[in-house]
Order: sequence, then C-alpha cells, then structure tokens
Amino acid sequence: MSLFAANLVLAILWGLTTENFSVMNLLIGYLVSLGVLVFVRRALGDSHYFRDITEVLALVWFFVKELFLANIRMARYTLSPLRKLRPGIVAVPMDFMTDAEITLLANLITLTPGTLSIDVSRDKRTLYVHVMDIADADAVRREIKHGFEARVLRAAR
Amino acid sequence: MKDIIVSLLLWAGAIFTLLGALGTLRMPDLYTRLQASTKAGTLGVSCIMVAAALHFMDLAVAVRAVLVVAFLFLTAPVAAHIIARAAHFTRVPLWSRNIIDELGDTRRNAKAADAPPPPESLVTEAGRAPDERRERS
Amino acid sequence: MSEIGATMLAWTLPAVMAALAIATALGIVRLIRGPSMPDHVVALDLIGTIFAGVITVYAIRVDEPVYIYASLVLGLVLFLGTVAIGYFLERRAAR
Repeated sequence: MSLFAANLVLAILWGLTTENFSVMNLLIGYLVSLGVLVFVRRALGDSHYFRDITEVLALVWFFVKELFLANIRMARYTLSPLRKLRPGIVAVPMDFMTDAEITLLANLITLTPGTLSIDVSRDKRTLYVHVMDIADADAVRREIKHGFEARVLRAAR
Repeated sequence: MKDIIVSLLLWAGAIFTLLGALGTLRMPDLYTRLQASTKAGTLGVSCIMVAAALHFMDLAVAVRAVLVVAFLFLTAPVAAHIIARAAHFTRVPLWSRNIIDELGDTRRNAKAADAPPPPESLVTEAGRAPDERRERS
Repeated sequence: MSEIGATMLAWTLPAVMAALAIATALGIVRLIRGPSMPDHVVALDLIGTIFAGVITVYAIRVDEPVYIYASLVLGLVLFLGTVAIGYFLERRAAR
C-alpha cells in the first residue's frame, strides 16, 4: 500500500514538472513512475504491490474474455431449438467473503457464459445462480466454486 | 487502418446487440431472457464505445468511453440481479421445462419448517439445502 | 489503405444503424408482449442500452464527440430506473 502512495506522489511530481495536470498526463506520469518503481523494486524489498497489479489486470482480462465467450454461447442458444435448453436455479455455497468480494463474484458470474446470479442468502454463505444448460448441478457448483471464487479471492486479497 | 478497426468493432457491437435482442424475444421465460439481454447489451455497447474512442483519437473522449464501459460492466449485472431477485420474489413463473429450482426449494422449506421463521433457522436451512438435495438425488 | 478504410466506414455506419434499429424493434415486440412486469422492465432496459449505442454511432457519424455525454447520462438514468423498479416490485410483494 505504501508503494501505491509513493507511486501516486511520483505521478503528481511528474504533473508538477511537466506543468500539466490533465488526466492523460497524470496517467503517463503514473505509468512512468510505476516503471521506475519496478526498476528499483529489489532495493525496496516489497513486491506485494506489483503482484496485486498483475492479479487485477489478469482479472480484467479474464472478465473481457469470458464476456466474449458468453455472447458467443448465448448466440448459439438463441439460434438453436429451444428444447435443447435445460435451465434451472442452483445453490452454490461460498466461503466467507466481504460484501465487495461477493459483489465482484456475482458480477463475474452474471457476465460469464450461461450463468446469472439471482440471490444471496441472508448469512452470505449461499449464492443462487440461474444456469442456462445444466447437465449436472454438482459440476456447475464445483466449476463456480473452484474457478471463479478462487480467482476473485486471489485478486482481492 | 484505423477506420477498418473502427468498422469491425462497430459490426461486432451491432451483431451482438441484434442477437441479444433476438434472444430476448425468443427465450421462453424471464430468467433466460434476462441472460440474453444483459450479456448482449453490455458487450454490444462496450464494442461501440471502444470504436468511438478509437475514431475520435481524443483523450477526453477516450476517458468518457472507458468510463461508460466500466460503468456498464459494474451496473448491468447488478440491474439484472435486482430484476431477477424481484421476479423470483414475486413468483414470476419459471419455464415449464426448468429442471431444478433450489432457491424456490429453500424458500418453501423455510416456510414449512416454522412460520414465521426466526432469522437463525432460515440461515441454517439455506446453508444446508444444497447438501440435502445431493443426498436425495 | 486509408481510402479503403474510409469507404468501409461510410458503408458500415448506416448498416450498423439499421441493425440497431431492428434490435430496437425486437425489443419493442417483447415490451408489448412481455407477460409479467419484470419482462417489461427487461425489454425497456434493453431498448435503453441499444439507444446508448445508437447515440454513440451517431456521434461517430456526425463527427461530434459531445454526444457521448448523452449516452453516459442515459446509462446512469437507466440503471437508477431499473433499481427503483426492482425495489418497488419487492416492496409491493412483501406487503
């Protein structure tokens, strides 16, 4: 976290020296100082921040990729006969998570292929998910639990 | 070159949006329709926004476009979640060929267990429901 | 190369507009037909989202970036409307 503060201070210094505080210039300053910090990271001895950035970027990339796949699969459902669908609502148990993490997980589930989060139980331990095509409810549960939940937790913590 | 990429992005956005609208019209019940409209709307408008950002090649426009895309990614699932929750709560019917409804099961169990249910018993019921189902099947 | 691109864009813009218009028409059919209240909301939400796209395509067509603000505002208002209706539906059912 202190490295993030250092990065921001360096970005503001960049804005001061170039006498330009537009968003673009500050963004350039942020990226330049990030590069500098990466360059001297061994001297600082704390690589937590860089790993976090990589994790968040990986999550964003994963989001976009899954959204494309979701649309392609949705198009296939739309154009094929309806009798092939086997929709249903499945309960997925969750680990203990903060509200922000649950929101992230629910959004991720809604934007990924064939799934839509509907409700969270009052104790925040169960997520109800609508699925377009269920072959095996337990397989769906396992996929969400080990695929998405693990990924969200890794990026958020 | 830039115009070609812009055109391709616009085409992608238009086709995904059109397919999503078709899905919204064709799907059999509210929840499946919601899946079609949420995903298509998000991706379609995002593609068009990125195309606009690329076309104008202007920082202020690019920041707004990224803002719109980020906003869509955050709000579209939340809106879908709210509507689906309200619909299930108000008992909008599921499709007749729906194979499983564990949320409805949990709600019925909680109601059958004791009326009116104290929060704790509802909580344990909700937590246990999937396991019970697994043993039964 | 840029010639080809400009021609392609000139053909793409009206075609994309037409595709979005068809999508809006499909949404309107669902809006009229939708049996339950949430169905109407879903259809309206979809139409609004498509309109945000239409505004952006129009902005590209007339080369006027100001219109992008309009789609930003439209997105905000749509979300608030959907949340309000969802909340209203649940409150009404709870009573």
